[in-house]
Amino acid sequence: MPRQITLQEWDQRYEQLRKAGPHQPDYNGPLGRHVEDGDTRLLKLRYDNSAAALRLWNFLLTEEERLHRSRAEGKKLVGTMKDLGTVPVMAYSLDNIAAFYPDGAWWIPCVMESNTVLLRIADRLGIDESFCPVRAMLGAFLTGGHFPIPDLLICSVGATCDDFSAIAQRLNGLGYAILWWEIPHRRRPEPDEVEVKLPGGFQAPRCQVEFVKSELQRLKTALEELAGQRLDEKKLSAGIKKANMVRTLLAELRKLVFTAKLSPLPALEMLIAEMLAIHFCSDQNETIIVLKDLLEEVKARIKAGIGFLSPDVARIFWVNPVADLQVMNLLEDCGGRICGTEYLFTHALDTIPQDLPPTEALAQMALADPMAGSSIDRAGRICTDIRTFGAEALVISRIPGASHCALEGQVIGEIVQDKLDIPVVELEVPPFTDSMRPTLRTRLEALVETVRVRREK
Amino acid sequence: MKTIIYTCPYVPAELIAAHGLHPSRLMPAALRSTGPLAQIEGLCPFVHSFINEVMTGPPQADTCGVVVTTVCDQMRRAFDILIRRCDLPAFLMNVPHTWQSVAAQKMYVDELKRLSRFLIQLGGEPFLNDTLARVMLDYDAARASILAAGSYLSARQCAESIAAFGRDGPGKVLRNQTNTKPLIAGVPLAIVGGPLVKQDLDIFDIVEQSGGQITLDATESGERGLCPPFDRRRIRDDPLIELASAYFNGIPDASRRPNSELYNWLKRQLIGRAVRGIIFRRYVWCDTWHAELWRLKEWTDLPVLDIDAGGDSETHQHRMPNRIRSFLEMLS
Repeated sequence: MPRQITLQEWDQRYEQLRKAGPHQPDYNGPLGRHVEDGDTRLLKLRYDNSAAALRLWNFLLTEEERLHRSRAEGKKLVGTMKDLGTVPVMAYSLDNIAAFYPDGAWWIPCVMESNTVLLRIADRLGIDESFCPVRAMLGAFLTGGHFPIPDLLICSVGATCDDFSAIAQRLNGLGYAILWWEIPHRRRPEPDEVEVKLPGGFQAPRCQVEFVKSELQRLKTALEELAGQRLDEKKLSAGIKKANMVRTLLAELRKLVFTAKLSPLPALEMLIAEMLAIHFCSDQNETIIVLKDLLEEVKARIKAGIGFLSPDVARIFWVNPVADLQVMNLLEDCGGRICGTEYLFTHALDTIPQDLPPTEALAQMALADPMAGSSIDRAGRICTDIRTFGAEALVISRIPGASHCALEGQVIGEIVQDKLDIPVVELEVPPFTDSMRPTLRTRLEALVETVRVRREK
Repeated sequence: MKTIIYTCPYVPAELIAAHGLHPSRLMPAALRSTGPLAQIEGLCPFVHSFINEVMTGPPQADTCGVVVTTVCDQMRRAFDILIRRCDLPAFLMNVPHTWQSVAAQKMYVDELKRLSRFLIQLGGEPFLNDTLARVMLDYDAARASILAAGSYLSARQCAESIAAFGRDGPGKVLRNQTNTKPLIAGVPLAIVGGPLVKQDLDIFDIVEQSGGQITLDATESGERGLCPPFDRRRIRDDPLIELASAYFNGIPDASRRPNSELYNWLKRQLIGRAVRGIIFRRYVWCDTWHAELWRLKEWTDLPVLDIDAGGDSETHQHRMPNRIRSFLEMLS
C-alpha cells in the first residue's frame, strides 16, 4: 500500500527490497547514508514508500559523485546557470560533456540544515540573507565540496532575476570565468512584426527569436571548442529528441498525478521529479529510467485505486519552488494536495518542437521561459494549467530575497482571482521553516478550509 | 509640449526630443512607502517610489507616456504594475545586459527604433536625421558645460544641474547657477551607487559640512549616468547609430555583464579626482548594487562607507549624517 514513511522506516524497507532481489542501480542504497554526509533535513521529511521513489531520491542525492565520475571518465563539465532547461539540452547532445546547474546549490542549506558553511561563506563575500538562498552557490564554488568546478560556466542574463545575476557577477569577480548570454525580456509582437507562437502558448516577435538563435550559436561554438567535436544539426536534433523523452514522461506523470482521484504520488516526490527536467540530474539516460519507474508505479496505483490522502482534500496549484522541502509534506498535513505546479520552468516541461531546425526550436524554447516574460503572461499560463488540472486554490510561494517575488505575486494573484475566482494565498518559504511552521500551517489550513467551504456553497 | 517621463540612463533623451516631445527624467522627491502601491516586502524603495510617483501623477501635467527599461528586474516588473493600474501609456525598453556582442548592440538600436514608433503613437513627429543630429549637439554641449561647471559649483549644485538637465533638457541648464560661496576644498570623496532621490542631495551638504567634498558623483543620477561626448563626424553619418553607441557603450553600470567597464571607469575617475574615500549608496533589496559593495571593498584600497536606504525611516535619516561625519573624521 502506498504510504509516506520516515527515513528510519525507509532504511528498514530498503533491506527488505534488497533481499527481495530486484536489480539495484549502483547509486542505490539506504537513504540514511546521506544523513551521514550531513543531509540531516532528510530525517525530518516523509517519503513515498515505493522502490521507484527510493531510486528517485538516491539519484538526486548522488549527483555530486556522478559528476566526479564523469570527469574521471574524461568528460568535460559545464555549469549552466539560470536558463533552467535550454543549454543542458545542447550540452547533452555532445557525448563527452555533462552539464549541471550550480544554482541547484540553493537547496543545500535546507538539506544540510546547519551542517554547511555555504551561507557563512556567502555572508563573508557580502552576499547576505537579503539575497535569494541561491547565494549558497558561492560557498559551493569556494569550498569545491558540493560539485566539481566546471570546465565551462555559462550564465544567462537579461530577463532574469537580479539576485542571481548579481551573485553570478560576484563569482565572476572572484576569478571564475563566465560565458554570459542574453535572454531578452519576451514581449508580444507589435502589429508590424512577424509573430512566432512559442511552445507553451506565449508569443514573441520573430526578431527576438533570431536574437536568441544568435546567442545560442555563440554557446554552441563554445561547447564545440570544449568538447573538441562539432555540434551539428543531427546531434542537436538527437539531443532534442532525447530531452523530449524526459519531457513526455514528465507530462504524463504530471497529468496522471494531478488529476487522479486519489493522489498517487506525494507532492515532495513530484517536486523532485519535475526538477529532473532542467538538467537531468547529470545523467540523461538514468533520468529517463527513473521517470519510467515512477510512471509505472503511478499507473499501477491508479489502476488499483490506491493512493495518498482522502479524495476530498483541497486541490492546490503551487507557484514557485519551495526553499524548504518539508513544506511539501506540510501542505499534505494540512489537508491539501498538489494539483498543478509552476516551479519557474514550465518551458523545460513543454515538448521542444522537432519539426523545426534545432537551433530555432531551442531559441523558441528559451524565450518561452515564464520568467523571461511579464508576470501577466505567466499568470495567463497559470490560469490555463489550473483549469487543466482542476485546482481549487492557488499558493504563491515567495522565495526570500528573490527580485521577482516582490511584485509578481500581486499581479499573478489578482489575475487568477479575476479570471477563476479561486482563493489565493501568498507565503514566504525560507530554507528552514521550523520557527515559522505554526504560521505556515495556519495559513495553509485556512486555505484548505476556504476551499471546503466553497465546495459546500 | 507633451512630456515623456523615464528614469533609466540608457533611455536617450535626445531621441524623445527629436520627436518633438519633452523628455523628462524623473527623480522622485523622496523614498515614499505610501501611495497607490502599498509597501511590499522585498521591493526596492526606489522602484516603489518611482511607481507611486508615476501612478499619483508625475510633476508635469502634460505627461503622455512613461518609458521603463529592463536594466533592473524590479523595474522590468514595475511595468506590469503600471500597465495594469495606470492609465498612462507605458513602454518597456529592452536594454541588453551583455554588451560585448554585435547582436546585443543591434538589439539596442532596434529597441530605439521601437521606442520611436511608440513615441509617434503618442503624437510625436517621425524624427529626421538632421533634427536628431541638432538635438544631440545641443545635449552634448549642455552635458559638457555641466561637467565643466564642477570647477566653480558646489557638488550639490552640480548634482542639481544634472537633475535639472534630465528633467528640463538643455535649454535651461546652468541658467542662474552661480556659486556665491567660495568652494572649500574638503577631503575629496566619491559617491557611488544607483539612482538618488531629491532628498538624497542632502548627502552632498552633509559631506561639505563635515569637512569633505564630493568630487565624483558616480551615482546613476550623477555624472556616471551621463553619456560620453558624441563623435561629430559619426553624428553626420548616422545620428541614431552614434546615439546608440554613446549610450549603450558609454555608460558604465553594475548591471552590465560583465561589469568590468564600471571598474575601469571608476579607476580612471578615482585617480583623476584624487579621491580619498567612497560613499557607497545603495537601496535595500537592490541586489545589483548590494552585491558590488564587497567587491568594491576588495578592489579598492580606499575606505568605503556603506549607506543603505531602506525607505522613509526616520532612524535612517538621523543615522546617516553621523556616519558620514565619523567617516570624514577618520579620513581627516
